[in-house]
Amino acid sequence: MCGIVGLHLKTPGLYPRLGELLTPMLAAMTSRGPDSAGLALYRDLPGSAEPEMEVRKDVGLPEEICRRYDIAERAGFQGIGHTRMATESAVTTEHSHPFAPAEGLALVHNGSFSNHASVRRRLERDGVRCVTDNDSEVAARYIAQQLDRGADLGDALRMVLKELDGFFTLLVTTTTQFAVMRDSFACKPAVIAETPDYVAVASEYHALAQLPGIAGARVFEPVPEEVYTWTR
Amino acid sequence: MDTLSCAELTTREINAALAELPAGATARIEQPWGRHNLAVGLTNRITIEIDGNAGYFIGGLGDGPDITVDGFVGWSVGENLMSGTVRVRGNASECAGASAHGGTLVIHGDASSRAGISLKGGTVLIGGDAGHMSGFMAQAGVMLIGGDAGPALGDSLYETVIYVAGRIASLGSDAQVEELTDDDVLTVKQLIDTAGFHHIDPENVTRVASARQLYNFDALKNQRY
Repeated sequence: MCGIVGLHLKTPGLYPRLGELLTPMLAAMTSRGPDSAGLALYRDLPGSAEPEMEVRKDVGLPEEICRRYDIAERAGFQGIGHTRMATESAVTTEHSHPFAPAEGLALVHNGSFSNHASVRRRLERDGVRCVTDNDSEVAARYIAQQLDRGADLGDALRMVLKELDGFFTLLVTTTTQFAVMRDSFACKPAVIAETPDYVAVASEYHALAQLPGIAGARVFEPVPEEVYTWTR
Repeated sequence: MDTLSCAELTTREINAALAELPAGATARIEQPWGRHNLAVGLTNRITIEIDGNAGYFIGGLGDGPDITVDGFVGWSVGENLMSGTVRVRGNASECAGASAHGGTLVIHGDASSRAGISLKGGTVLIGGDAGHMSGFMAQAGVMLIGGDAGPALGDSLYETVIYVAGRIASLGSDAQVEELTDDDVLTVKQLIDTAGFHHIDPENVTRVASARQLYNFDALKNQRY
């Protein structure tokens, strides 16, 4: 298992509430991933054209981790989070999501990749080194490599469909984009809610049920192999 | 009518309260907010209304109640249904009616992938579209899809018959389109009446059934396995 959540705010009026809205979303995914949790939060900096991404992750229950890092008080324009139920590598902070292999890039993953060792070796031949033996880190570094070579986020995710074998719902963000993609069989859940104010993603709907204006949101499931992107 | 609120009660408390109700009673579940496992494992002939969007496994293992969800539901609604009905006024996520032995699941909106997977005798009626691999390995029972069917419909199908009113993206292995008989038209008419899906023309549906090339056993012939 594992749970993922994400919130891309369109209305600046909601920016001060980013952490306050994300914290219960992440806590709602505790049953999908009680081992560790983490978030990547994006905010604008005064006087800077380049937004800042901050990653906070740790071992323990999502609610405790949010409290530990004062997530509810954080402002920003988007954030993604992950609750981990480890299946293929150790439970440590380093093995926790999000993986942020390049400046401004963060990835959370629900699922498993079966050929991550082969892809990791190919990345190593290109000089790209993974820090952990985690399968999701390989996907994150693979996407970073594609972006580095000039692909946009949508193309980089479509390359994941070609190169990485396994089950996945991926939620990937940059300082300008917010993207969701599911594998060819849609083995792992995902639900998206969109309103004029925000795009919200979660593994399960109940993580979204408390968001403001959810009753009027367009709620849908991403179809297999389709890349959904929202650009700021 | 009994009213049970998900804001005040745990899932276990709600299901225990429902199980205590006498035959003929009606209960209303309020503020479901995507809660999983509501109204599962019930064997009493009661009527349950769920007032909003619900989570996974709604009405699963049901052997008696008639359940209506006034919203959408998550994965595996009516999983392993034995009898009774589950009616969803919105869309349903994946694996709707998985492994249902009996009863009727009615989805007014769309159903996502793998609807009716491993169906074992239940009836799955979908007003809108059905996602990929619907009817996968379905063994007995019937499915009606009022909209379009996604890729690999009826893959590895056994003896379930699937009727599709819209387009079929592709058939799965060992699924084939067969001629629609008068009996089929009558069956579809009855299914339409049960569901209230009057947008479907019973004479203009496609019958999909197994080509029987992938399985070769016949329990009626006393074969040994």
